[in-house]
Amino acid sequence: MGLLAVGTPLEWPEVKKVAGHVREWGIEQLLAIWRRAKGKERDALLWGDEIEYLVVAFDDEKREVKLSLRQADILTALANDADLLKQGGGVPDLQEGRKKSGKNAPTFHPEFGRFMLEATPGAPWGIGFKDLLDVEPDMKWRREIANNHMYAHEYPITMTTFPLLGDRKSIIPYYPPNGSKLRSQFVPDEIANPHIRFPTLAANIRARRGRKVELNVPAFHDEKTPWPFKDPTVDYDLHDWPEDDDVRNGAAKENHIYMDAMAFGMGSCCLQITFQAKNIEEGRKMYDQLSPLGPILLALTAATPIYKGFLADTDVRWNQISRAVDDRTPEELGEAPLKTDRWRIPKSRYASNSTYISQDPRLRREYLDPDLVVDEELKQRLLDGGMDDMLATHFAHLFIRDPIVVFAEDLEELDLSKTDHFENLQSTNWQHMRFKPPPAGNDTGWRVEVRPMEIQITDFENAAFAVFCVLITRAILSFDLNFYLPIPRTTENMETAHRRDAVLNDKFYFRKAVLPSKRPAKPNNTNGGGVASGPPSGASTPQLGPSRPASPFGPVEDEYELMSVDEIVNGKAGGGFPGLIPLVESYLDSMNVDVETRCELAQYLALIRGRANGTLWTAAKWMRGFVREHEGYGMDSRVGEGTVYDLVRAVERITVQEGRDGFGREMLGECRVQG
Amino acid sequence: MKLILSTSNIMGAGASIHRPTKSKSNTEIVSSLHSNFEAHSAPSTPTNGTTSITINANPTTLEIPALDFTSSSLQEEREQYDITLKLFYLPSTTSNPPTAAHREAQTREALDLVLRDLHMPSVDLLIVSFPGIYFDEEEDCPDKISTRGPVEATPEALESQIETWRTLEKLHEEGLVKKLGVAELGHDRLKAFLERTGVKPSVDQINLRDCCSVPKDLMALAKSNGVELLVHNDCSNILPRGTVRELLGSGESGAGVLAEATKTGDKRKSLHGEESKNGSAQAEGLRGEVQPLWVVKYTAVVKNRGVVENKGYFAVAELTD
Repeated sequence: MGLLAVGTPLEWPEVKKVAGHVREWGIEQLLAIWRRAKGKERDALLWGDEIEYLVVAFDDEKREVKLSLRQADILTALANDADLLKQGGGVPDLQEGRKKSGKNAPTFHPEFGRFMLEATPGAPWGIGFKDLLDVEPDMKWRREIANNHMYAHEYPITMTTFPLLGDRKSIIPYYPPNGSKLRSQFVPDEIANPHIRFPTLAANIRARRGRKVELNVPAFHDEKTPWPFKDPTVDYDLHDWPEDDDVRNGAAKENHIYMDAMAFGMGSCCLQITFQAKNIEEGRKMYDQLSPLGPILLALTAATPIYKGFLADTDVRWNQISRAVDDRTPEELGEAPLKTDRWRIPKSRYASNSTYISQDPRLRREYLDPDLVVDEELKQRLLDGGMDDMLATHFAHLFIRDPIVVFAEDLEELDLSKTDHFENLQSTNWQHMRFKPPPAGNDTGWRVEVRPMEIQITDFENAAFAVFCVLITRAILSFDLNFYLPIPRTTENMETAHRRDAVLNDKFYFRKAVLPSKRPAKPNNTNGGGVASGPPSGASTPQLGPSRPASPFGPVEDEYELMSVDEIVNGKAGGGFPGLIPLVESYLDSMNVDVETRCELAQYLALIRGRANGTLWTAAKWMRGFVREHEGYGMDSRVGEGTVYDLVRAVERITVQEGRDGFGREMLGECRVQG
Repeated sequence: MKLILSTSNIMGAGASIHRPTKSKSNTEIVSSLHSNFEAHSAPSTPTNGTTSITINANPTTLEIPALDFTSSSLQEEREQYDITLKLFYLPSTTSNPPTAAHREAQTREALDLVLRDLHMPSVDLLIVSFPGIYFDEEEDCPDKISTRGPVEATPEALESQIETWRTLEKLHEEGLVKKLGVAELGHDRLKAFLERTGVKPSVDQINLRDCCSVPKDLMALAKSNGVELLVHNDCSNILPRGTVRELLGSGESGAGVLAEATKTGDKRKSLHGEESKNGSAQAEGLRGEVQPLWVVKYTAVVKNRGVVENKGYFAVAELTD
């Protein structure tokens, strides 16, 4: 998550006063970065993955599992261990690890939830195929190191959300809810990382919004679920904070599971991949081309069927995070007439992309979002600074937001060698793709972050999706693929991806023709030419076929159609859309790949192919099935503590066994059986 | 007369996307030759009802389409690339198998074409594929047979392969090729190659499909001799005899360079003879037997980015009366 500078955070009313100031300085810093790095060239493909864990604590006697809030202790232990490692000191597990691969040890980072950990590889990956094979062992190594710095009854699991988060008891150590920062009736302030940035973030989002955040997830209507469903855990009789009125004013919707704090969203675990591009143009192109793939990746990785002890009728986390950090005011939301706010804003700061940024001739105006909100003054400043319209529009769109966390110390002078004010806005715009300018002070290039994927239970799956993303980017660049789709269709696809078993049952807008339709025109043929059947008698008179007229652009609506995830991933029968996996395989066929690597990659691709065609289940489907077949489940959508205990134990077992013992094979298939 | 067929850079042309429904893996070369011919043809007009392709012809060589190396160079410096050539020596029909000297000349010609096309002084890896050798996985692999293409040749004697190899060693010594490789060799042949050659093969490229069952003795031999086992998905018989005629013929999908096949003693005019291509006297196209000699596939990959920047094929055939 970064940005853990210390200082004196301003309360919301103060932040509001300096928001314009922060934005202006942020734009100046952006221009400084842009001027410095716009000509940066020939950067290698370097990439990294981020794995986020939930730390759970089991109590086998009581058959209970709780979230452990020991993030800080665990990180301290890890940090001290790292010191020892540096000094060549005596911590056997890390020394072992070091010997094991001769690579940089992974690094661990705090996250929003005090029950979360994030781990990244110690050094970025390259595109050497051996690197691709190192990803999974490194992920396993990270989990092992994390686990070795926990209590014996704790374990780092990779579920997107903890199924009992917000049940007012399943955290250890226990803290009561309804604290001053979150004012949540379900989770305590202590659920958030105690670093001042995090509670301030939560408190200022709530303050800006004028009420608590509001998450309503459709409840799963099972055979015995009382219907209409009224979330039975909502307390309507609290009177500690003004926000306690929210539920009395209808914040909790019928037939929905209701949640009221940032932790319900930002406490989710994701799988994120960041790529370094060759130069700014390639970065802009990758950002655009990967954007329409976002909803497909989300549906393929669906892993979030349970919230707050209830089965949900959706499969993914995305919208919950979106609502958990939605700081829009009633005016911006369109619930009240615009008076003091500047504009209505259609999307949360955490949402699918709203811009394309490439200067690609294939980008038609019609693809752009007609509802895009842009700060025209800041855009003009960027244009005056020399930035082109597309990129200026993108950043002037991100900069319609207010900063949320501002430290008084940072407002003293503008330092153009730093990027703090720019990053303040940039890093609190959580879109499904992120275009990242080079940071100050090192040689890192322009990067693109792919953010929609849900974390998977096993490191095998996480590695498979990470590597798949890498290979897709290489196929995009090698084959010059065109995935452009009007942005509103991607926004709709993102919603579609939420539906239960969307990967099997739903269709997504996708571009029909992704391959370049014509070869690039050849320049004048100067070394002679002839016509077919001409006499074979010396060089004949040059004769060129007249160049074909460019086919006029047809209606944009004819360029895409609704496809199933299977069709998008595995291809359409009868020569239509070729499919992402065949594209990747064709790319691999053009590369020198050794036998072992190709066979390992084949397992990864088999997993994704199976997820797409339904032969392998998503984690969401598997978990929902586990709950519904559990003896403790009353077919009423309630997921009790005993069921969750068994579920999390089952998830732990799958993490370790990866289906080798036959358990969880619906999800993982035979991929690992021989291995 | 020699025929030089070429695809130009096929990346981005879509020809190399393999579809699960297509079983033959020489689809790539055939369809990319087709589309390159089309790209160099004048559109058909109502009057002649057919297309005419730009070619370059002289008494000894016919280029289809006319070769143009002016615009095809790579964007980065030499050291940024990994350039691989795979040369397929095609099965011979005559009773005299090609000598090592023939093969050397073919190899040099293939290399020369690619170097001129890419505007590069050397390549990283040259893999040669001898006709009639098929690598066999240990397990039954039902997909396997379809990737072989028609079997038109029995493997030639090891002795002659080694002789050919010795001519490749010269290319290595001249600095034109950094590494040499072979394709489809099983344990015994690879062992013989390792024992009897000066410059050892660094690569043995085998066709695995999805089965991933490399014979253990081959794996061990490769490991202990530093031979990299690479995977490919090419047809060993990449250009079966009738294919060139189909590509160049006057049939529906042909380029109209060749006249319809004539049987010995058949002097009958081609059926399409009167449908003149361009009004010239030789409207019915060239006559004779077409014998494909070799195919070279080349790829240029930007090393540190894993991007395939250029990929293509040249195929050379002999047209005899």
